[in-house]
Amino acid sequence: MKIRSLSLRARAVVEGFMSGLHRSPRTGFSTEFTEYRQYSPGDDVRFLDWKVMARTDREFIKKFEDETNLRCTFMVDFSKSMEFGGDDAGVKKSDYARTFAASLAWFLTQQRDAVGLATFDRDVREFIPPRYRRDQLKTILGRLETQPAGNATDLCQALEKLASLVGKRGMIVLVSDFLSPLDELSRCLNLFTAAGHDVRAVQVQHPREVDFNFGDAAIFEDMESGQNLILDPGMARESYQQKYNAHNAALDAIFSEQGIPAFRVTTTEPLERVLQRFLEERPTRAVVRQRRSNGRSAT
Amino acid sequence: MSFLTPLYLLGALGLAIPIILHLLHDRPKNKQAFSSLMFLDKTKPPVDRKRRPTHLLLLLLRCLALLLLAFVFARPFVTVDDPADATRRDRQWIVVLLDRSASMQRGDLWQQAKAGVQTAIGQLGTGDRFSLIAFDDSTEPLAEIASWLGQASGAEVNARLERLAKPGFGGSNLGQALVFAGEAIQEDEPGPDEPPLARRSIIVISDLQKGSRLGDVQGYEWPTGIHVTLKQIGEDDQGNAGIEQVASRAPWAAAEAVPSFRISNSANGIGDELEFSAHTVTGETLSQKVHVPPGRSRVIELPGDWAAQPLEHLAIRGDAAEFDNQFHYAQNRKQAVRIVYIGDDKPNDPEGSLFYLASAFQQSSAIDFQIEAMSGNSTGPLPEGDLFVIGDAVGDALANALGRAIEGGATALMIVQSPGQAANLTQWLGADGVGIRDIESSDYALLQSLKLDDPVLSVFRDARFSDFTNLHFWKHRELQNLPDGGIDVLARFDSGAPAWLSARRGEGRLLVMTSGWTPADSQLALSTKFIPLLYSILQPVLERKTQSRQFVVGSRIDVTRFNNGQAGGGITVTPPGDGAAAVSADTVFTPTVPGLYTAKGAGWSETFAVNLTPAESSTEPIGMEQFQKLGLPMSASATALVTAVSAKKTEAHRREYWQWALAAMLLFVTLETVLAAKGSRPAEPVMT
Repeated sequence: MKIRSLSLRARAVVEGFMSGLHRSPRTGFSTEFTEYRQYSPGDDVRFLDWKVMARTDREFIKKFEDETNLRCTFMVDFSKSMEFGGDDAGVKKSDYARTFAASLAWFLTQQRDAVGLATFDRDVREFIPPRYRRDQLKTILGRLETQPAGNATDLCQALEKLASLVGKRGMIVLVSDFLSPLDELSRCLNLFTAAGHDVRAVQVQHPREVDFNFGDAAIFEDMESGQNLILDPGMARESYQQKYNAHNAALDAIFSEQGIPAFRVTTTEPLERVLQRFLEERPTRAVVRQRRSNGRSAT
Repeated sequence: MSFLTPLYLLGALGLAIPIILHLLHDRPKNKQAFSSLMFLDKTKPPVDRKRRPTHLLLLLLRCLALLLLAFVFARPFVTVDDPADATRRDRQWIVVLLDRSASMQRGDLWQQAKAGVQTAIGQLGTGDRFSLIAFDDSTEPLAEIASWLGQASGAEVNARLERLAKPGFGGSNLGQALVFAGEAIQEDEPGPDEPPLARRSIIVISDLQKGSRLGDVQGYEWPTGIHVTLKQIGEDDQGNAGIEQVASRAPWAAAEAVPSFRISNSANGIGDELEFSAHTVTGETLSQKVHVPPGRSRVIELPGDWAAQPLEHLAIRGDAAEFDNQFHYAQNRKQAVRIVYIGDDKPNDPEGSLFYLASAFQQSSAIDFQIEAMSGNSTGPLPEGDLFVIGDAVGDALANALGRAIEGGATALMIVQSPGQAANLTQWLGADGVGIRDIESSDYALLQSLKLDDPVLSVFRDARFSDFTNLHFWKHRELQNLPDGGIDVLARFDSGAPAWLSARRGEGRLLVMTSGWTPADSQLALSTKFIPLLYSILQPVLERKTQSRQFVVGSRIDVTRFNNGQAGGGITVTPPGDGAAAVSADTVFTPTVPGLYTAKGAGWSETFAVNLTPAESSTEPIGMEQFQKLGLPMSASATALVTAVSAKKTEAHRREYWQWALAAMLLFVTLETVLAAKGSRPAEPVMT
């Protein structure tokens, strides 16, 4: 995270990824390309591209981005717990998450996909509906630049709220550390999956959260609640890891149950690779079925 | 290592303070923000690993300083071994006090006691000193080994012990024995080449029964360094009943002097139904049931039909221990006391003196009062008498005889009733011209200035009986020209004239009353003072005639008392048992076994009974707290004494040790201060 500007960072990530993409033997991205289609009777004449017709004397229907492109809404966790990190052990989770969101947004914008953003902590803090506009990416990056100010994380409440805000079906990329009770998470995720959204979860974790590798005893302060606990990490490590792994296992079970592809990334992992992993993931069955039934998204 | 004031070592508990403070100090100060504490549990207080070495050193120094402080206050000292003393340092003196009183006859107590002696012997090492002392009423050293030589000495002690086949019949004077042993240890002065004694122990092997006398220990200053161990043998779990004769009441208080016996049952007695029986000389047994609840005693009079028979001994049955169940009983013979009244009174004349005199001395089962009256003018010989009461003027012949009798030890009571008695008084008092003058007064006289410490009036010494103001004298006489010396005025009239006088003449004495007891003279005969007064006058005679013939084992019996104090050519005493050889006793005889003894002299023979000391029947154990109250140097105090003595010996060394400890503590405190200051100094900024 040597580049300070989020836009530059996102660009660098995407360019690196794109250059690698040409070399990649794999094809078949889930996003679709914009194209012209020959007019056929019954099409709305409003969508005729008059300029092309004037030049070539043929009728082409101009495919609008909102119809043909992906609607992707990033839901980025802006709670305090995402602020952990930033030391020698790795970047802040929030920086990593924001860069990831920005990079993907940049990439999707390059593909003329509609991109939206929702930030949340206990509740939805900000919501930018997905659009394909010239300044949409700028707006999103600007929002992502702001520092997270939320306290506790309540995934479920935020998801419930977002479910009412996100109208049309699309892709939901949920970027969070998922460090909150998971009791209601399954039900809340169901609000999206049941509505036909293609939900993808990116769990950002800091290496210290995984190995709990702290040196001396210290007063551990909960970044969200502010609670203190005097701990000898050496003594607490085993128990912590046990519970942390159990939490992740429960999380995986929920995602699996909801058919949500989940990406568990640590802040030390190169973003390009994460991006590639993300884009290589095949769309879920529900989304494929929905697209096929649409009939205009074959590639 | 020992400590003079070991309680100060409790101060070492203060070590907890720095440890707790260090634990508190280890509370981490650095904060670590973490994303969520939801996976973390509270762990034990962590230790700051980086600072541990420094802190541990500080903690160690602080703990050592506190420890040394407690150490200094506890005054440690070490007995410095002198190689030359090494072999003699533990030399000890064990004094074993072996109880051989009658109560040790119970069960197998004696075997246990002997085993206890063997145990004590087992504690001895070569060179130790050993004393074996047996005690009952008296204290008798049985064996004294100045330097213990192992088996040889053990054999010697055992041989002496075997001679003491069984316990005696004496009482138990534990106090006397303890003091005896204590004094023996105190007065012992080791010889110049004798190794010193490090420890002196008195081991008491006894049943420690309640009847043991401990009076001698009270107030006894125990020498330092003595350790008394009480080894109680035998558990008195079944109790015991005892019998003893109750002292008879004053002779005038009971018409019939019936012997009474107190039967006591100990609190832990097995039953309350005892059988009280009497065995006659003829072999007949009389018995009756006596109900004595445990912890109580009961006085019963000898039934009339029993007393009429010649009894040999009494017994009780029904308790656990047999040793004290027999009570040997020597019946008192009825003694004749002859009283001679000289005067012309009629025996049945209530206006005369004789009537009241005869009424005062009533017959009883123990004393046969024989009252003989004769005229003062009688020319016949003076009859033998224990008391002469002279109520009239006496003729010369009779006066001379009376004078001789008084000189020879008789008691005469002269009632001055007429001036005609002046000549007799002059003669008997050995004075010149004693005159008698009737005092005519319309008012009565009272007594004053009573000499209550005189044996005659001592019976009235008690404040309840010393009030004579109700005794009115209507008429009295005044004696004139009384000699200055040789006469005690026992009481005076309120006019100052002597009322009652006492004069010792030779072996006997003459008592003079200047007013009689007839109703014409005074109220004396009708007052409550009259009979006690007459018996008091007769007391020396009664004591001689009615003396008890009941004794206890170990008491010194003056056998001449059975013959009016006369040895009369040798007295022999025949102990109980068939065919027992008579023992010659000059004046004093000390019986060692209970039973009926017979004292024989020239022409007389008396039987007396010897029994166990009644206290021996109290077999309940003495509470240990009683010994503590008496200040017996038992375990704890003995240890303290030994410590004190040792401390005295090593005072020089001890002082050095606590001083060194103090110096070390100061050093530690200084080090701690330096280290603590170094640790708290902020790190200097690094110049770049």
